[in-house]
Amino acid sequence: MGAVLKSFAQNRKALTGLVIVAIIVALAVAAPWLTEYDPTRRVGRPHQPPSWDHWLGTTRIGQDVFARLLYGARTSLAVGFGAGLLITAVGTILGIVAGYKGGRTDEVISFFTNMVLVVPNLPLLLVLAAFIGQASPWVIALILGVTSWAWGARVTRAETLSVKQKDFVKSAEMLGEPSWRIMLFEIFPNVISIVGINFVGSVIFAVITEATLEFLGLGDPKTVSWGMMLFNAQNASALQVGAWWDILSPCFALVALGAGLSLLNFAVDEVANPRLRTGNTLSRWSLLMRQGEGRL
Amino acid sequence: MSFLFRRLGFYLAAFLAAATVNFFLPRLMPGDPIEIMFSSAGGDLSVENLEALKLTFGFVDGPLWQQYLTYLQSVFTGDLGRSIKYYPLPVTELLGRALIWTVGLMGTATLISFTLGTVLGIMAAWRRGSAFDVVFSVGAIMATSMPAMVLSLMALFFFGFELNWFPTGYAADPALDPAFSWQYVSSVVRHGILPVLTLSIVLTGGFLVTMRNNMINLLGEDYIVMARAKGLSNSRVMFWYAARNALLPTVSSLAIAMGTVLGGSLVTEVVFNYPGLGNTLYQAILARDYPVIQGQLLIMTLAMLTANFIVDISYVLLDPRLRSA
Amino acid sequence: MTVNPLLSVQNLTIDYIGAETDFRAADDVSFDIAPGEVFGLAGESGCGKSTIAYAINRLHKPPALIRRGRILFEGQDVLDLDDRALREFRWHKVAMVFQSAMNSLNPVLRVEAQFHDLLKRHRGYSKAQSRERAAEMLRLVDIPPERMRDYPHQFSGGMRQRIVIAICMALDPKLVVMDEPTTALDVVVQREILQRIDELRRSRGFSVLFITHDLGLMVQFCDRIGIMLRGNLVEQGTSDQIYHRPQHDYTKQLWASFPSLHGHPARLERASG
Repeated sequence: MGAVLKSFAQNRKALTGLVIVAIIVALAVAAPWLTEYDPTRRVGRPHQPPSWDHWLGTTRIGQDVFARLLYGARTSLAVGFGAGLLITAVGTILGIVAGYKGGRTDEVISFFTNMVLVVPNLPLLLVLAAFIGQASPWVIALILGVTSWAWGARVTRAETLSVKQKDFVKSAEMLGEPSWRIMLFEIFPNVISIVGINFVGSVIFAVITEATLEFLGLGDPKTVSWGMMLFNAQNASALQVGAWWDILSPCFALVALGAGLSLLNFAVDEVANPRLRTGNTLSRWSLLMRQGEGRL
Repeated sequence: MSFLFRRLGFYLAAFLAAATVNFFLPRLMPGDPIEIMFSSAGGDLSVENLEALKLTFGFVDGPLWQQYLTYLQSVFTGDLGRSIKYYPLPVTELLGRALIWTVGLMGTATLISFTLGTVLGIMAAWRRGSAFDVVFSVGAIMATSMPAMVLSLMALFFFGFELNWFPTGYAADPALDPAFSWQYVSSVVRHGILPVLTLSIVLTGGFLVTMRNNMINLLGEDYIVMARAKGLSNSRVMFWYAARNALLPTVSSLAIAMGTVLGGSLVTEVVFNYPGLGNTLYQAILARDYPVIQGQLLIMTLAMLTANFIVDISYVLLDPRLRSA
Repeated sequence: MTVNPLLSVQNLTIDYIGAETDFRAADDVSFDIAPGEVFGLAGESGCGKSTIAYAINRLHKPPALIRRGRILFEGQDVLDLDDRALREFRWHKVAMVFQSAMNSLNPVLRVEAQFHDLLKRHRGYSKAQSRERAAEMLRLVDIPPERMRDYPHQFSGGMRQRIVIAICMALDPKLVVMDEPTTALDVVVQREILQRIDELRRSRGFSVLFITHDLGLMVQFCDRIGIMLRGNLVEQGTSDQIYHRPQHDYTKQLWASFPSLHGHPARLERASG
């Protein structure tokens, strides 16, 4: 575990990603101290370009874009991490149970997993959200959790199948350990890297999908979030009337969060899969080659 | 052959599952399901028409299973009801019209991004650790985590509104009549460039990363080392030994990626006001036109399953081990 | 020892570069192989014997680094060859049989295609010429030539390894490097393959560098043997010396791990005679 943390800390991509995400979290937490405006109130004239009073301008109904961006980050992060956790939990449990139990249990779980994988996700979410009506961020997180676990279940199952063959699992079985204990204490710690990749990937997916559902008009209008900002701006024809700040601000916020998370994901992938790692070894190799210390 | 038949059976089950969701969802909601589905119809619908609509969705007297069978019957006879907003336009017709544009958009973007992503992934894996690899694989990962709407909105703003290079909406100049004329076709192409481009960028990253990682996992295989030991040219080893084998898992991931492609194209259409399924759906959501929203799930599931089946077939063609089995 | 060795490895030192420290896989290794000779490299897995095999055809990739040494083939240092010369050298001079029989052939290409790309590259053969040559080579290893239209998965493990040997013979190489060619196969198939190689060697006159952890097998098959331990070549000698009068402690330990075989010298008839 220590070695994993160390190689993570030495990974430049991981550090960059961590810094980006940490800054966004800090901004979201510190929102009340960074802006005097209420994100839901009308605080200025409509569609004002960025100025000293309104750093990122105002929306069509005169709300402060910067304030909405800060408070909206709270929603995006909460839904992202909440739904990410839920998706990962469901996927991990189903994957480990299917992989370890095998037989009928595996067949049933795998069948459902594969089925959920081929039914298109976004259209399904749209139907669910449409019937729920104006979905609050928490409802969106919940439906993401119950519909998006399939990929995680699949990769966790595959990993479990290989861990299951290891000696320490066999010996735990010999000792008569109950299967829930084996799954929890023998299998789970050994598939943790897959779980990590699944988690970061699910957070990215949840952030994007929440924003998308809201952008498509399925969110609750009272919500302050990046997706609702995009929906409102699009509905107000912000680009057509030249109010680029209204639309580009949430765009860049989503890009920054996505970039930070994806760098983290890339790093987790490299730490988990040594074959994909490049980093320091290769640069040292190239240096030695250039110095004429050896050849190939 | 038996492999393909098994897949077909599986797809039938998946389609049935989507239809089942559609059937139960209005019934699970609190309140009167008929009220939920047809409330926005208001007074425009005559009593007979409303009855016909109810029949299509299985709202008949009788136990639940009977209602379910009635519903399945209409689904499998291709009757998805009628749009409430554009009554009496049948949902299949409304969505069918839009489908052509979406398929065109998705098909072109998938083709471009799959080719580009795969080739770049091969090159990144082959020269892994190089500046090329770092730039493209990190860039690709970032592109995949960028919401389609964000990229579309940015492209629309810069290339549509600021630079005025491309039209900012519709699939063709509305003043032109659809025809196989140079004028019309070129208008379609011009209107399609931005949506296709943004969608391709969103998708390329995923294919690149998949192909790169598959390649890297293969490069240690004995048959790759043997190919190099045989003195074959780099390009022969790279394409016919490494890439040709890495393509198999990449193609199977293409099937799963079709969901992302579809989602991306829905959103892109809304941004570019492109008359495909996504835009139709957006209008339906705003009007709470439930038969259309439900119908799109079935039509898109069908489209996904078809795409999956095409992927299955190409998989069989690519892998001799499956062909002879 | 012959005056003009076919292959002369001199002071070969190879590192695997790590982020901070390096792992020395081969340390100052020197040995010669004479024309027609069968030379064996024995040692536990990870002792560096495969590293040396890869270096002869210059198949290493980063982070492997050849620190020092020369690999002279017919007097020419392989490490000095440019890309073009190297591609001509590979397989034409030194062919290789790899460890895993299941995995050495490209699963998506027909067997004939895997002959053809080689023959086209080195001899400019047309498809028809390649097919003719492939048929000839497959007959050498008792595979019906018409099966060249099949894919690798349609053959058993032993057959696949025979196909690899047939591909090895296609350019009449001077040296065949065999990196644990039979570990993935069962004992009967293993023996059959080795006998086949030995017959071919005697009829076609190439040298063999035979790498295995199985010292018992090696003594039956090789003229001379080198014993490797953690990157070092600790002992070298004729099979007879290594078998009857091992000098180094490690060699003795290795023999001690084959009690039954060592206890019945009568069974050790050298196949190469």
